[in-house]
Amino acid sequence: MSLLEIKHVSKRFGGLKAISDVSFSVRLGEMAFIVGPNGAGKTTLFNLITGVFHPDSGSIHFEGRDTTKLSPDRAARLGIGRTFQIVKPLRNLTVLENVMLGAFLRTSSPAKAEQEAIKVLKFLQMEKVLHLPARGMGLPMLKRLEIARALATKPKLVLLDEVVAGLPTSEAIQLAMLLKRLPEWGISAIGGIEHVMQVVMRVADRVMVLDHGTMIAEGLPQEVVHLPEVIEAYLGSKYKEIVL
Amino acid sequence: MKRWYFILAGIFFLLALLVPLVVESDYTLQILFRVFLFAAMGLAWNLVGGYTGQLSLGHAAYFGVGAYSLALFSKAGVSPWVSVLLGMALAVISAAVIGSVSFRLRGPYFALCTIAFAEVLRLTAKNLPNLTGGDVGVQVPLLFPHSSTKAFYISGVLLTLIVLALTAWIEHSRFGYYLLAIREDQDAALAVGVNTARYKLWILLISAALTAIGGALYSSLFLYIVPDQVLAMEISTEIAIVAMLGGAGTLIGPLVGSITLETASEIFKNFFKEANLLIYGVLIVVVVLFLPEGIVGTIANKLRLFKAAPTAPFATPEPPDPEEEAQRAVISE
Amino acid sequence: MNWFYSTIQAILNGLLTGALYGLIAMGMALIFGVMRIVNFAHGAFLMLGMYATYVLFQTTGISPYYSFPLAGAVLFVIGYATYMGLLRPIRGQVDFMVILLTMGLALIITDGVQLIFGADYHQINIPLLSKNIRIGSQISINAPWLVSFAIAAVLAVALYFVVTHTMFGRAARAIAQNRYAAPLMGINVNRVQAISFGIGSAAAGIAGALLLPVFYLFPEVGNQFKLKSFVMVVLGGMGSIQGAAIAGLVLGVVESLTSLYWGNEWALAVDFVIFILVLSLKPSGIFGSQRA
Repeated sequence: MSLLEIKHVSKRFGGLKAISDVSFSVRLGEMAFIVGPNGAGKTTLFNLITGVFHPDSGSIHFEGRDTTKLSPDRAARLGIGRTFQIVKPLRNLTVLENVMLGAFLRTSSPAKAEQEAIKVLKFLQMEKVLHLPARGMGLPMLKRLEIARALATKPKLVLLDEVVAGLPTSEAIQLAMLLKRLPEWGISAIGGIEHVMQVVMRVADRVMVLDHGTMIAEGLPQEVVHLPEVIEAYLGSKYKEIVL
Repeated sequence: MKRWYFILAGIFFLLALLVPLVVESDYTLQILFRVFLFAAMGLAWNLVGGYTGQLSLGHAAYFGVGAYSLALFSKAGVSPWVSVLLGMALAVISAAVIGSVSFRLRGPYFALCTIAFAEVLRLTAKNLPNLTGGDVGVQVPLLFPHSSTKAFYISGVLLTLIVLALTAWIEHSRFGYYLLAIREDQDAALAVGVNTARYKLWILLISAALTAIGGALYSSLFLYIVPDQVLAMEISTEIAIVAMLGGAGTLIGPLVGSITLETASEIFKNFFKEANLLIYGVLIVVVVLFLPEGIVGTIANKLRLFKAAPTAPFATPEPPDPEEEAQRAVISE
Repeated sequence: MNWFYSTIQAILNGLLTGALYGLIAMGMALIFGVMRIVNFAHGAFLMLGMYATYVLFQTTGISPYYSFPLAGAVLFVIGYATYMGLLRPIRGQVDFMVILLTMGLALIITDGVQLIFGADYHQINIPLLSKNIRIGSQISINAPWLVSFAIAAVLAVALYFVVTHTMFGRAARAIAQNRYAAPLMGINVNRVQAISFGIGSAAAGIAGALLLPVFYLFPEVGNQFKLKSFVMVVLGGMGSIQGAAIAGLVLGVVESLTSLYWGNEWALAVDFVIFILVLSLKPSGIFGSQRA
């Protein structure tokens, strides 16, 4: 059963066609990843799913409901959680308070929100920094904070936008292993955008390749990565971590 | 909240309420009234400006609506206190209009828009003498019998107490957290399900209603108002400065700010008669340059008092993180 | 038929006034465009230019229409110093802090001038004031306004030329578009910004000088012009100096017609209504590219 269905979605910004006729779905229980070179349109796709932008054409369905013209806060309430590529911590609040904000979606009691937040932060191995201000934290912790905040909203689908980019490899692998445990949180499915192929290979059930706004390949990670179209799309890219 | 905050606050307000037993001078009581009135106004502004990060420079609009409602409805025969309630209602309606236009704007546009609305109200009041008395002004009824300055003073203290209590309650509720989130990062707030537009509007409505009460009280003390007094940008600025000087986003900041500012103002007026505005200007510049977190904010940071998170929402943000910059360079759209 | 000529006269007067408005607004637009600073002391700077010119006139008798460059030079220095000394240190802070700072500065300047010169209204008298140019039998133009229109127009064109055709202008526009990339191109951001602030302030000072013959001089004179500048800059599109110039003409005409049909007192109110309408309907203004 498809949790998320995107059908023939297009979006243009002025003269630039950011997304062209893209269709794909995320099924219950799976971890699907979108990959592609710089400028391919991956974050735009996430923004379309979460309602930051609306598609010019095509439709988006979540849990069978038409969510094409959603607002971002409604998306969150329906159960779509997301992290941001450029992290958005609430800098003047503590780590705990940041995550409580997510928990508040499901409870209005600060005490319960705090409990829930602590649970999530423990899962992400962040107990030590609970009461530190978000301002001044290093990137690895901020990335985890993004995830924690999204998890606290008890989403059904969580969209992870480049969660390991910029992290040293050891951190990235650690985080990837944590991601594999996300289903323990009752999350039905995960969508991710990733550059770091090592993580994608380890974690993804299915991979979709986006290039210049169109989907050029879809399938199992090991298969997709060998396809000539995909290798060609990446040629000239700065990244040399493609596992061939 | 820690128990001793309550105790300290209780003692403070108890003492404040006992002041009229000791102080007889009308002049002093008026100054003290001003201190508490502007503390209450600053606290009300703080809800929108400090906690939610929407820095309005047009709160005189609500102040003036409260003042003129008291004056004009009473003139039409409505009892004074009911007029105050009507004033609150009108202020709420004004806030709904002003908010729905202004909140769509970001940065300096928002502040300018709030100024524009307040100015439109001021100019309208000036230019409709048949309705508002224009520049000649209009009489305001007494809210308390016997024109007792003591009664006004007490009302100022009580208003401050009410707004302070309300702020404390909001601060510890989900509503409060949502407001902070809106201030810090609206997109992040949206992503966790916060209907930012709705909450911004709600807090503005609350702030406006409270500010209107202040306007009514203030005008009743003077028994007479003109547009350039209660709808002036000077009022908007003073309210904002009181909060910023004390510490926007902190609980007691505006109270501290008001005590500091009004006391300093009195001293300036008496010693530097003509230069008091200049010194006021210097004060503003000094606050922005050296005390962007306000008095309470700066102290709290130095002593790491309030939990662990510094309340410096408007001071210099993080310098660009080199890792983040690297991330930005590598990542696609 | 009288209303027809009155209207034409009002439009004409509006255009003449509007040129001066436009000059003031262009200065503010330059500053906002390059630095996103809303300068609440802009009116005070205009007032300083006016007083400087007044003092010069009283002591040497030189007409403002010759001495205005001096007002420009003085305000350039003041603007440059203000940016370097007061605004640069708070660069990173929220816009509101900048607004507060410039408000405080305006208070200091205005009250300072009042302490030195007193709150009295002053006026100067030059021969040109009594000369009127008649067009037909119903329309007349007061000569000083024509002169100030001409000067303002020339300066506006010059400013536009500087912004579009000089290295400085290019640097300023680069910073306006991307403050972080600009230094990577070898642009000394601080210096360009300070110069921009200086030029913008100079425009206000010159406008003050040109205003002196036809207006009353008093410490608070800058206030109304500051508020009108906000309206024009938003109307024209924040950061667009052509937009500001045209908005100036538009505002001049609108005010003039409002005064004619509804009375003077509504002119400023109409300004703000326009302001609010633009912000609600098309925040980017006529020429603006920056989003509100």
